[in-house]
Amino acid sequence: MKYCKTCNVHYDAPLEHCLLCNGELEYTEEIADEPAYKFKIITKKSSSRFWYRFFFFLAVVSTAITIYLDYMDGLSLSWSLIVAITNLYAVLIFRTLSAASQWSAKVMKILMITAVGTILIGFAIGDYSWSIDYIFPFAIIGNILLISILTLVNKKHWYDYFASLIIITIIGLLPGLLDLLKFTTVSWPSFVCFSYSSITLLAIVFLPSKSSREEFKRRFHV
Amino acid sequence: MKKEKYWYKLDNAGKIFPAVSKDDRSNVFRLSFYIDEIVDKDILELAVNKVLPRFETFAVQLKNGLFWNYFGANTHQFRVEEEPAVLCEYFKPVKNYGFLFKVYYLDNKITLETFHALTDGSGALAFLKSVTYHYFKLRGFKIEHENKILSEKPYSKKESEDNFISNYDKDKRRNLQEEKAYKLSGESFNHHWVMFVKAKVDTKQLIQVVKTKYKATITQYVTALLAYCIYKETVDFVSNKKPLKIFVPVNLRPYFDSVTLRNFSLYIKASYPSHRNDYTFENMLEMTKEQFVDQLDKDKLQSRISSLVGYEKNPIIRILPLVLKTIAFKIGYYVLGDSISSCSISNLGIVDLPKDMMEKISDVDFANSGYGLAMTLISMGSFTNIIMTSPLKDLSIINQMISLMVKEGIDVTIDTNYKEGYDEIL
Repeated sequence: MKYCKTCNVHYDAPLEHCLLCNGELEYTEEIADEPAYKFKIITKKSSSRFWYRFFFFLAVVSTAITIYLDYMDGLSLSWSLIVAITNLYAVLIFRTLSAASQWSAKVMKILMITAVGTILIGFAIGDYSWSIDYIFPFAIIGNILLISILTLVNKKHWYDYFASLIIITIIGLLPGLLDLLKFTTVSWPSFVCFSYSSITLLAIVFLPSKSSREEFKRRFHV
Repeated sequence: MKKEKYWYKLDNAGKIFPAVSKDDRSNVFRLSFYIDEIVDKDILELAVNKVLPRFETFAVQLKNGLFWNYFGANTHQFRVEEEPAVLCEYFKPVKNYGFLFKVYYLDNKITLETFHALTDGSGALAFLKSVTYHYFKLRGFKIEHENKILSEKPYSKKESEDNFISNYDKDKRRNLQEEKAYKLSGESFNHHWVMFVKAKVDTKQLIQVVKTKYKATITQYVTALLAYCIYKETVDFVSNKKPLKIFVPVNLRPYFDSVTLRNFSLYIKASYPSHRNDYTFENMLEMTKEQFVDQLDKDKLQSRISSLVGYEKNPIIRILPLVLKTIAFKIGYYVLGDSISSCSISNLGIVDLPKDMMEKISDVDFANSGYGLAMTLISMGSFTNIIMTSPLKDLSIINQMISLMVKEGIDVTIDTNYKEGYDEIL
């Protein structure tokens, strides 16, 4: 053991100098072992968030420059809006991929972000029918299908996908509503999506097993 | 019998932690045992997985409901890891197979780091004792449990009870208002590294000073000592408009006859106005004693429990979707949560181990994370460890604390996670 004769304190740590007075430590015994360091040694870490921040900075700068150029040339904002939406899309995808979550949740989020991104681009270029007619309903169908497969394959942990399934099936009713309000030009993808979501939702509500009733209770406890 | 379909609502203390925890506010605390041999990783992992089914409140994962988070059963295999360099490091449960605690090994040390939403110090200590007991058993040692190891007792449903709810009394609610507190500030270490300084003292010597000289309890003594050191060592406390407020968590189990393994503690506080400049250690100790006696009253504690539970029972809060609650918790904690306390002191008391285990465990650590300075106390055998952790580079308060204990005639042995050369990195 080491000792600081100025502070009258013993040390059970491999320090050369006293923490309190910075004086040199002495061994208390004539033949003494160096006290062990009982923690993991820290090494220099690189800032993992630097590249994300740099990427985010570039996205903001490029968006600002394109909006400025559009504005200065007296043009409509369609071109700069596409840049802004694409940048936002890239940042969200980056965040989703780097987030600590299950891969299935990541795939679902990416599908939904992509669907919303294409709708926004559709609005920016003044032609959103292709995204509302095809991409949005098929993204939802793909999502419900994916969760259904995961639920069947991973029966033991089916409840892990329960909340996602409920949310996505409710969103899946939206294409039907858009079709009803005449926002779509092609009806069948929205109809398929609406029907598939409705059937899934009805199955969740009307075919409850004891365990799914329990899951409802857990997820919706107030 | 191993169950797989249980679930729990989060307790009152745990409800806010999932929303407000992050890298520099991990809400994780550490308990470590130093044993008499190098820890075998595989056997430790076996021991944890053997004990887990008995500790239903630990074998859980945090799930999102529409209105509240909840704990669902977690049947994954638990994996132990090598201890990291950063103490009480924030971790994402999804990277830990959903578990809200970590078990580490490093040389002869077994460490349990627990996210506070899961349990408090008493619950975590019961778990670590059971893991270590089974570790020794699996290593082939004959250990008599002497009825001191929870995993060797039959499971009681009372261990999983939310005692905040069971002690809620609507008529005892009162308005809890807290003024903002003086904050310790300064340059922090990089990489969320936290300085750990352990002052090991002889318990008899400490009691001699505390009880005979000052007629106080150990917690009252260290609280007053910390307050006095902050008063002496900071330049901006006196004339600061905010009082110094030291929060001290109280284990509520003895007051309410509880054996729960879930959170069941509540803060009492020692408050010292900043407009005074005539403080001495003695008058600060008197103030501390009066405030502790006043607040450590069962009726007052139950009144505070009822007030806290009352918030979560508010119909508007209950029907608010979880996503909005999370935002509200984040804003509320940012505006108020951190600002109402200056620092904290947590005394876990004596670690009561079977004789056979006492011979094999040489030391114990209990550490908390937090802004400013967090102090913890834990006793085992003949010694008491007073552990101070801080993300701040300024060590003057810690220095003053140790110097004053030495002046009282207490022999102090220091251990630390600081190494010469760390200034280059941190």
